[in-house]
Amino acid sequence: MVKYKLYYFNVKGRAELIRLIFALSGQDFEDVRFQMDQWSEYKKNTPLGQVPYLEMVEDNGKVFKLGQTLSIARYLSRKFKLTGTDLEEQALVESYGDLIYDLQNEIVRPRFEQDETKKSQMLKKLFDETIPKYFQVLENLISNNSCGYLASCGLTWPDLFLFTVIDNWLAEKKDSLLANYPHIKTLEEKVRNNAKISEWCSKRPKTDY
Amino acid sequence: MGNNASFKLYYFGFRFRGEVIRLVFTAAGKEFEDVRIDPSQWPQLKNQAPFGTLPYLEVTSGSQKLVLTQSTSIARYLAKKFKLAGRNDEEAAIVDMYADQVSDVLAEFAKTARESDANKKKEIEQKIENEIMPKNLKLFEARIAESRSGYLVPSGLTWADLYLFNLLEMLGEKRVMVLEAFPNLKGLDQKIRNNPRMAAYLAKRPITPF
Repeated sequence: MVKYKLYYFNVKGRAELIRLIFALSGQDFEDVRFQMDQWSEYKKNTPLGQVPYLEMVEDNGKVFKLGQTLSIARYLSRKFKLTGTDLEEQALVESYGDLIYDLQNEIVRPRFEQDETKKSQMLKKLFDETIPKYFQVLENLISNNSCGYLASCGLTWPDLFLFTVIDNWLAEKKDSLLANYPHIKTLEEKVRNNAKISEWCSKRPKTDY
Repeated sequence: MGNNASFKLYYFGFRFRGEVIRLVFTAAGKEFEDVRIDPSQWPQLKNQAPFGTLPYLEVTSGSQKLVLTQSTSIARYLAKKFKLAGRNDEEAAIVDMYADQVSDVLAEFAKTARESDANKKKEIEQKIENEIMPKNLKLFEARIAESRSGYLVPSGLTWADLYLFNLLEMLGEKRVMVLEAFPNLKGLDQKIRNNPRMAAYLAKRPITPF
């Protein structure tokens, strides 16, 4: 029996994808959240000086630590059957995850820009060009599948990832953004209304992002 | 997909994000068609790429055809097929983690390419040279020491080592001097360069700025 422990700041951010993987799989985990001023304490124990990281402790006391959000997502998804069943399908699923990771990075980038003029230019480009470009690719992928998810085999971890990106960063503009992307809209609703996901979302700590 | 699949890689003629895929084929001794696209021709060819991006890989086995995108997902797929991904799920996850770390550093290089403002560009380049690269070199140096195999993980060469090798090449002319301070990284770099298949490939591949 393995015990799972996830370490991150007390926000959704990059860790929420992993929390959703646990929630959907019905797998217990310790959701360790710390404050910004505790970071230097926690940093010492991270595999690569960053969070989130996952700690797995076996009955015999053996500890396995894993960093990097997507590596954690891929590893757990293999264990909990939230990825493709063969190597080819897994590679396709992983490529959708990579795409959404790039989209998330684009969305987050303007937040770090100090210059207000540059920032509003970046935000305009983000909403006028970048998000539509990514959303069109995702819309096309989902529309190819009768199951209404990104992969033809059904719900996989990139579907949860897309949900968190919209939920974390685009919630205010969700309706207008998704108006032109009916398949993404339906996917988002399906994930949000999934019993285990909606239970998690209703009981998780409320944070700004 | 059968074990006698044929592979066709589409990427630009430089190294950057696509090179890790070429290195995986080379290290595994597997043939592939290395289609190098001229950036000036890219706009006309863009709609042939599944996500409108490069690289992408066509895998054909009998009547089955698969098209994969995203450089690291392609590299990981091939590495798993060619047994260059670590010896079990846990080691493979660690390999993935190191590869994700390399990707994050390459993304910083990509920022400089995208930046039009000359001052901002210089700022990012200096941040890479003075902060980001040194931090990551120290990190990988320590991990190679820990694994005791001379590579990133105990079981030996994996695609993360090839990807790290690719990152070290981004140091350009400074590479040899920088690696003097990192004996384990230097050793990994040498081992990969001296591998016969790799040596042959490196000797004949086109020389590109990055």
